[in-house]
Amino acid sequence: MDSEPEVKPSAPPAAESPKAGEAAAAVTSSDAAAEQPGPSSEEEEEEEEAAAEEAEGGKQAPHGEEAAAAAAEPREEGAEEEDDEEGDAAQQAKRLRMEPVRDKKDKKQKVDEDEIQKMQILVSSFSEEQLNRYEMYRRSAFPKAAIKRLIQSITGCSVSQNVVIAMSGISKVFVGEVMEEALDVCDKWGETPPLQPKHMREAVRRLKLRGQIPNTKYKKVSFN
Amino acid sequence: MDRDPSSRKMADEDDEQAFDEDVEESGSGAEGGQGRRKRLFSKELRCMMYGFGDDQNPYTESVDILEDLVIEFITEMTHKAMSIGRQGRVQVEDIVFLIRKDPRKFARVKDLLTMNEELKRARKAFDEANYGS
Repeated sequence: MDSEPEVKPSAPPAAESPKAGEAAAAVTSSDAAAEQPGPSSEEEEEEEEAAAEEAEGGKQAPHGEEAAAAAAEPREEGAEEEDDEEGDAAQQAKRLRMEPVRDKKDKKQKVDEDEIQKMQILVSSFSEEQLNRYEMYRRSAFPKAAIKRLIQSITGCSVSQNVVIAMSGISKVFVGEVMEEALDVCDKWGETPPLQPKHMREAVRRLKLRGQIPNTKYKKVSFN
Repeated sequence: MDRDPSSRKMADEDDEQAFDEDVEESGSGAEGGQGRRKRLFSKELRCMMYGFGDDQNPYTESVDILEDLVIEFITEMTHKAMSIGRQGRVQVEDIVFLIRKDPRKFARVKDLLTMNEELKRARKAFDEANYGS
Protein backbone atom coordinates (compact mmCIF):
# COMPACT_ATOMS: atom_id res chain seq x y z
CA MET A 1 0.00 0.00 0.00
CA ASP A 2 2.90 2.26 0.71
CA SER A 3 4.52 1.74 -2.66
CA GLU A 4 2.79 4.66 -4.32
CA PRO A 5 4.70 7.92 -3.75
CA GLU A 6 3.03 10.94 -2.30
CA VAL A 7 2.12 12.68 -5.54
CA LYS A 8 -1.55 12.29 -4.81
CA PRO A 9 -3.28 14.65 -7.27
CA SER A 10 -1.82 13.10 -10.39
CA ALA A 11 -2.65 9.46 -9.60
CA PRO A 12 -6.49 9.37 -9.43
CA PRO A 13 -7.30 11.48 -12.50
CA ALA A 14 -4.63 9.74 -14.55
CA ALA A 15 -5.93 6.30 -13.58
CA GLU A 16 -9.49 7.15 -14.58
CA SER A 17 -8.72 7.59 -18.26
CA PRO A 18 -8.66 3.90 -19.25
CA LYS A 19 -12.28 3.68 -18.17
CA ALA A 20 -13.47 6.92 -19.69
CA GLY A 21 -11.97 6.21 -23.08
CA GLU A 22 -11.29 8.70 -25.85
CA ALA A 23 -12.50 11.91 -24.23
CA ALA A 24 -10.54 11.39 -21.05
CA ALA A 25 -7.44 10.37 -22.95
CA ALA A 26 -7.58 13.55 -25.01
CA VAL A 27 -8.11 15.69 -21.91
CA THR A 28 -5.48 14.17 -19.67
CA SER A 29 -2.65 13.61 -22.17
CA SER A 30 -0.20 16.26 -23.29
CA ASP A 31 -0.47 18.15 -26.56
CA ALA A 32 1.83 15.84 -28.51
CA ALA A 33 -0.06 12.77 -27.37
CA ALA A 34 -3.45 14.34 -28.09
CA GLU A 35 -2.74 14.20 -31.80
CA GLN A 36 -2.86 10.44 -31.79
CA PRO A 37 -6.57 9.79 -31.35
CA GLY A 38 -6.85 11.87 -34.53
CA PRO A 39 -4.86 9.78 -37.03
CA SER A 40 -5.94 6.43 -35.62
CA SER A 41 -9.61 7.38 -35.66
CA GLU A 42 -9.42 7.92 -39.39
CA GLU A 43 -9.04 4.19 -39.93
CA GLU A 44 -11.70 1.85 -41.21
CA GLU A 45 -11.10 -1.15 -38.91
CA GLU A 46 -12.88 -0.39 -35.65
CA GLU A 47 -11.35 -3.24 -33.61
CA GLU A 48 -7.83 -2.05 -34.26
CA GLU A 49 -8.82 1.49 -33.40
CA ALA A 50 -10.38 0.44 -30.08
CA ALA A 51 -7.35 -1.71 -29.22
CA ALA A 52 -4.95 1.11 -30.09
CA GLU A 53 -6.91 3.62 -28.03
CA GLU A 54 -7.08 1.31 -25.05
CA ALA A 55 -3.35 0.64 -25.29
CA GLU A 56 -2.67 4.37 -25.62
CA GLY A 57 -4.93 5.21 -22.72
CA GLY A 58 -3.39 2.46 -20.64
CA LYS A 59 0.13 3.55 -21.38
CA GLN A 60 -0.45 7.24 -20.82
CA ALA A 61 -2.57 6.88 -17.70
CA PRO A 62 -0.18 5.88 -14.89
CA HIS A 63 2.58 8.42 -15.32
CA GLY A 64 1.64 11.85 -16.45
CA GLU A 65 5.27 12.91 -16.48
CA GLU A 66 6.22 10.01 -18.69
CA ALA A 67 3.53 10.91 -21.22
CA ALA A 68 6.14 12.11 -23.72
CA ALA A 69 8.10 8.86 -23.51
CA ALA A 70 4.99 6.65 -23.49
CA ALA A 71 3.49 8.62 -26.38
CA ALA A 72 6.34 7.55 -28.62
CA GLU A 73 5.29 3.91 -28.37
CA PRO A 74 1.60 4.22 -29.32
CA ARG A 75 2.66 6.51 -32.15
CA GLU A 76 4.70 3.67 -33.59
CA GLU A 77 1.72 1.38 -33.25
CA GLY A 78 -0.50 3.84 -35.07
CA ALA A 79 2.07 4.26 -37.83
CA GLU A 80 2.16 0.49 -38.29
CA GLU A 81 -1.54 0.19 -38.82
CA GLU A 82 -1.68 3.06 -41.26
CA ASP A 83 0.95 1.47 -43.53
CA ASP A 84 -1.38 -1.15 -44.93
CA GLU A 85 0.35 -0.93 -48.29
CA GLU A 86 3.57 -2.31 -46.75
CA GLY A 87 2.17 -5.81 -46.61
CA ASP A 88 1.35 -8.09 -43.72
CA ALA A 89 4.73 -9.85 -43.56
CA ALA A 90 6.67 -6.61 -43.18
CA GLN A 91 4.22 -5.41 -40.58
CA GLN A 92 4.52 -8.59 -38.58
CA ALA A 93 8.30 -8.43 -38.72
CA LYS A 94 8.18 -4.85 -37.42
CA ARG A 95 5.83 -5.83 -34.64
CA LEU A 96 7.94 -8.82 -33.59
CA ARG A 97 11.10 -6.75 -33.45
CA MET A 98 9.64 -4.05 -31.26
CA GLU A 99 7.67 -6.38 -29.01
CA PRO A 100 10.42 -7.69 -26.65
CA VAL A 101 11.39 -4.18 -25.61
CA ARG A 102 7.78 -3.11 -25.28
CA ASP A 103 6.76 -6.30 -23.41
CA LYS A 104 8.94 -5.61 -20.38
CA LYS A 105 7.70 -2.06 -20.07
CA ASP A 106 4.14 -3.22 -20.79
CA LYS A 107 4.28 -5.79 -18.01
CA LYS A 108 5.65 -3.31 -15.50
CA GLN A 109 3.11 -0.66 -16.45
CA LYS A 110 0.32 -3.25 -16.40
CA VAL A 111 1.32 -4.26 -12.88
CA ASP A 112 1.32 -0.59 -11.90
CA GLU A 113 -2.04 -0.09 -13.56
CA ASP A 114 -3.52 -3.11 -11.79
CA GLU A 115 -2.26 -1.88 -8.49
CA ILE A 116 -3.56 1.63 -9.12
CA GLN A 117 -6.97 0.28 -10.06
CA LYS A 118 -7.14 -1.95 -7.02
CA MET A 119 -6.18 0.95 -4.80
CA GLN A 120 -8.85 3.08 -6.40
CA ILE A 121 -11.51 0.46 -5.79
CA LEU A 122 -10.37 0.09 -2.19
CA VAL A 123 -10.28 3.81 -1.46
CA SER A 124 -13.67 4.35 -3.05
CA SER A 125 -15.20 1.93 -0.55
CA PHE A 126 -13.79 3.66 2.53
CA SER A 127 -16.01 5.07 5.23
CA GLU A 128 -15.69 8.70 6.32
CA GLU A 129 -13.44 7.85 9.23
CA GLN A 130 -11.27 5.58 7.11
CA LEU A 131 -10.91 8.30 4.50
CA ASN A 132 -9.76 10.75 7.16
CA ARG A 133 -7.20 8.31 8.46
CA TYR A 134 -5.95 7.47 4.97
CA GLU A 135 -5.57 11.14 4.15
CA MET A 136 -3.53 11.66 7.32
CA TYR A 137 -1.44 8.62 6.49
CA ARG A 138 -0.56 9.91 3.04
CA ARG A 139 -0.18 13.57 3.85
CA SER A 140 1.67 13.57 7.17
CA ALA A 141 5.38 14.19 6.82
CA PHE A 142 8.28 15.57 8.78
CA PRO A 143 9.08 19.25 8.14
CA LYS A 144 12.09 19.40 5.85
CA ALA A 145 13.52 22.48 7.55
CA ALA A 146 13.59 20.88 10.99
CA ILE A 147 15.15 17.66 9.66
CA LYS A 148 17.78 19.63 7.77
CA ARG A 149 18.60 21.66 10.86
CA LEU A 150 18.87 18.51 12.95
CA ILE A 151 21.19 16.73 10.51
CA GLN A 152 23.34 19.79 10.07
CA SER A 153 23.67 20.23 13.81
CA ILE A 154 25.00 16.67 14.00
CA THR A 155 27.35 16.72 11.04
CA GLY A 156 28.50 20.30 11.32
CA CYS A 157 28.49 20.66 7.54
CA SER A 158 25.69 21.28 5.08
CA VAL A 159 23.73 18.45 3.50
CA SER A 160 22.04 18.26 0.13
CA GLN A 161 18.30 18.32 -0.39
CA ASN A 162 18.21 14.67 -1.43
CA VAL A 163 19.65 13.65 1.92
CA VAL A 164 16.86 15.51 3.70
CA ILE A 165 14.26 13.88 1.47
CA ALA A 166 15.70 10.41 2.06
CA MET A 167 16.02 10.90 5.80
CA SER A 168 12.46 12.20 6.22
CA GLY A 169 11.19 9.28 4.19
CA ILE A 170 12.90 6.57 6.19
CA SER A 171 12.00 8.29 9.45
CA LYS A 172 8.35 8.06 8.49
CA VAL A 173 8.76 4.36 7.67
CA PHE A 174 10.48 3.94 11.03
CA VAL A 175 7.55 5.58 12.82
CA GLY A 176 5.24 3.24 10.94
CA GLU A 177 7.18 0.20 12.09
CA VAL A 178 7.10 1.29 15.72
CA MET A 179 3.39 2.14 15.52
CA GLU A 180 2.51 -1.21 13.97
CA GLU A 181 4.42 -3.09 16.63
CA ALA A 182 2.88 -0.97 19.40
CA LEU A 183 -0.63 -1.56 18.09
CA ASP A 184 0.20 -5.27 17.97
CA VAL A 185 1.33 -5.17 21.61
CA CYS A 186 -1.75 -3.19 22.61
CA ASP A 187 -3.96 -5.75 20.94
CA LYS A 188 -2.14 -8.66 22.52
CA TRP A 189 -2.53 -7.19 25.97
CA GLY A 190 -6.25 -6.84 25.40
CA GLU A 191 -6.29 -3.05 25.51
CA THR A 192 -7.51 -0.39 23.13
CA PRO A 193 -6.01 2.71 21.51
CA PRO A 194 -4.96 5.44 22.34
CA LEU A 195 -1.52 3.93 22.77
CA GLN A 196 0.16 4.32 26.12
CA PRO A 197 3.88 4.71 26.80
CA LYS A 198 4.09 1.13 28.04
CA HIS A 199 2.97 -0.15 24.64
CA MET A 200 5.54 2.03 22.89
CA ARG A 201 8.34 0.86 25.16
CA GLU A 202 7.46 -2.80 24.74
CA ALA A 203 7.33 -2.26 20.98
CA VAL A 204 10.79 -0.70 21.03
CA ARG A 205 12.11 -3.57 23.11
CA ARG A 206 10.79 -6.09 20.59
CA LEU A 207 12.15 -4.19 17.61
CA LYS A 208 15.53 -3.98 19.32
CA LEU A 209 15.58 -7.76 19.64
CA ARG A 210 14.93 -8.02 15.91
CA GLY A 211 17.69 -5.53 15.20
CA GLN A 212 15.47 -2.90 13.63
CA ILE A 213 16.52 -0.14 16.00
CA PRO A 214 20.03 1.10 15.17
CA ASN A 215 22.21 1.24 18.25
CA THR A 216 25.92 1.99 18.20
CA LYS A 217 26.26 2.89 21.87
CA TYR A 218 26.80 -0.50 23.48
CA LYS A 219 28.76 -3.05 21.51
CA LYS A 220 28.32 -6.62 22.73
CA VAL A 221 31.66 -8.35 23.26
CA SER A 222 31.36 -11.86 21.80
CA PHE A 223 34.59 -13.53 22.95
CA ASN A 224 35.97 -12.35 26.23
CA MET B 1 28.04 15.45 30.29
CA ASP B 2 26.03 18.62 30.14
CA ARG B 3 22.66 17.14 30.94
CA ASP B 4 22.21 18.05 34.60
CA PRO B 5 24.77 20.58 35.89
CA SER B 6 23.60 20.30 39.49
CA SER B 7 24.44 16.58 39.64
CA ARG B 8 28.08 17.25 38.76
CA LYS B 9 28.68 18.62 42.22
CA MET B 10 27.56 15.40 43.84
CA ALA B 11 29.84 12.56 44.76
CA ASP B 12 28.54 9.60 42.70
CA GLU B 13 28.56 11.51 39.44
CA ASP B 14 28.33 8.63 37.00
CA ASP B 15 25.50 6.85 38.75
CA GLU B 16 23.46 10.01 39.19
CA GLN B 17 23.92 11.02 35.58
CA ALA B 18 22.99 7.61 34.24
CA PHE B 19 19.88 7.59 36.41
CA ASP B 20 18.94 11.12 35.35
CA GLU B 21 19.42 10.23 31.70
CA ASP B 22 17.08 7.28 32.08
CA VAL B 23 14.42 9.32 33.84
CA GLU B 24 14.60 12.05 31.23
CA GLU B 25 14.29 9.63 28.38
CA SER B 26 11.12 8.12 29.82
CA GLY B 27 9.32 11.34 29.10
CA SER B 28 9.25 13.37 32.32
CA GLY B 29 9.46 16.88 30.95
CA ALA B 30 9.20 18.72 34.25
CA GLU B 31 12.94 19.42 34.49
CA GLY B 32 12.56 23.11 33.79
CA GLY B 33 14.17 22.71 30.38
CA GLN B 34 17.53 21.44 31.66
CA GLY B 35 18.95 19.64 28.63
CA ARG B 36 15.57 18.83 27.02
CA ARG B 37 15.29 20.67 23.71
CA LYS B 38 12.00 22.06 22.51
CA ARG B 39 9.66 19.54 20.91
CA LEU B 40 10.42 19.57 17.19
CA PHE B 41 7.76 17.33 15.66
CA SER B 42 4.79 17.39 17.98
CA LYS B 43 2.13 18.43 15.46
CA GLU B 44 3.37 16.29 12.60
CA LEU B 45 3.86 13.24 14.78
CA ARG B 46 0.30 13.47 16.04
CA CYS B 47 -1.05 13.40 12.50
CA MET B 48 1.29 10.55 11.65
CA MET B 49 0.19 8.49 14.62
CA TYR B 50 -3.43 8.93 13.69
CA GLY B 51 -2.63 7.92 10.12
CA PHE B 52 -0.84 4.78 11.25
CA GLY B 53 -3.71 3.58 13.44
CA ASP B 54 -3.70 5.34 16.78
CA ASP B 55 -6.55 7.37 18.23
CA GLN B 56 -7.39 10.76 16.79
CA ASN B 57 -5.95 12.39 19.93
CA PRO B 58 -2.88 10.39 20.94
CA TYR B 59 -1.38 10.75 24.41
CA THR B 60 1.25 13.46 24.71
CA GLU B 61 3.61 11.09 26.51
CA SER B 62 3.44 8.64 23.62
CA VAL B 63 4.13 11.44 21.14
CA ASP B 64 7.14 12.46 23.24
CA ILE B 65 8.49 8.93 23.31
CA LEU B 66 8.11 8.66 19.54
CA GLU B 67 9.83 11.99 19.00
CA ASP B 68 12.78 10.88 21.11
CA LEU B 69 12.92 7.66 19.13
CA VAL B 70 12.90 9.49 15.80
CA ILE B 71 15.63 11.91 16.87
CA GLU B 72 17.73 9.01 18.13
CA PHE B 73 17.15 7.17 14.84
CA ILE B 74 18.19 10.15 12.75
CA THR B 75 21.21 10.75 14.96
CA GLU B 76 22.37 7.14 14.66
CA MET B 77 21.88 7.09 10.88
CA THR B 78 23.74 10.36 10.51
CA HIS B 79 26.67 9.18 12.59
CA LYS B 80 26.86 5.91 10.67
CA ALA B 81 26.66 7.75 7.34
CA MET B 82 29.46 10.05 8.42
CA SER B 83 31.72 7.12 9.15
CA ILE B 84 31.35 5.42 5.75
CA GLY B 85 32.00 6.66 2.25
CA ARG B 86 33.28 10.19 2.34
CA GLN B 87 34.23 10.79 5.98
CA GLY B 88 32.58 13.63 7.79
CA ARG B 89 29.90 14.13 5.16
CA VAL B 90 26.45 12.65 4.75
CA GLN B 91 25.55 11.68 1.21
CA VAL B 92 22.56 9.92 -0.28
CA GLU B 93 24.61 6.93 -1.37
CA ASP B 94 25.68 6.34 2.22
CA ILE B 95 22.11 6.37 3.43
CA VAL B 96 21.06 3.97 0.70
CA PHE B 97 23.95 1.68 1.62
CA LEU B 98 22.97 1.66 5.29
CA ILE B 99 19.38 0.86 4.45
CA ARG B 100 20.10 -1.92 1.97
CA LYS B 101 19.08 -4.74 4.31
CA ASP B 102 15.70 -3.27 5.20
CA PRO B 103 13.37 -3.86 2.21
CA ARG B 104 10.67 -1.35 3.19
CA LYS B 105 13.00 1.56 3.80
CA PHE B 106 15.10 0.77 0.77
CA ALA B 107 12.11 0.67 -1.57
CA ARG B 108 10.75 3.87 -0.05
CA VAL B 109 14.00 5.78 -0.54
CA LYS B 110 14.29 4.58 -4.13
CA ASP B 111 10.70 5.63 -4.84
CA LEU B 112 11.13 9.06 -3.26
CA LEU B 113 14.33 9.84 -5.13
CA THR B 114 12.91 8.65 -8.45
CA MET B 115 9.76 10.71 -7.97
CA ASN B 116 11.85 13.73 -7.06
CA GLU B 117 13.85 13.41 -10.28
CA GLU B 118 10.68 13.08 -12.34
CA LEU B 119 9.13 16.12 -10.70
CA LYS B 120 12.27 18.15 -11.28
CA ARG B 121 12.27 17.15 -14.94
CA ALA B 122 8.59 17.96 -15.31
CA ARG B 123 9.01 21.34 -13.66
CA LYS B 124 11.98 22.14 -15.85
CA ALA B 125 10.09 21.19 -19.02
CA PHE B 126 7.13 23.26 -17.88
CA ASP B 127 9.32 26.27 -17.19
CA GLU B 128 11.01 25.98 -20.55
CA ALA B 129 7.63 25.80 -22.29
CA ASN B 130 6.57 28.96 -20.51
CA TYR B 131 9.84 30.67 -21.37
CA GLY B 132 9.25 30.04 -25.07
CA SER B 133 5.79 31.57 -25.06
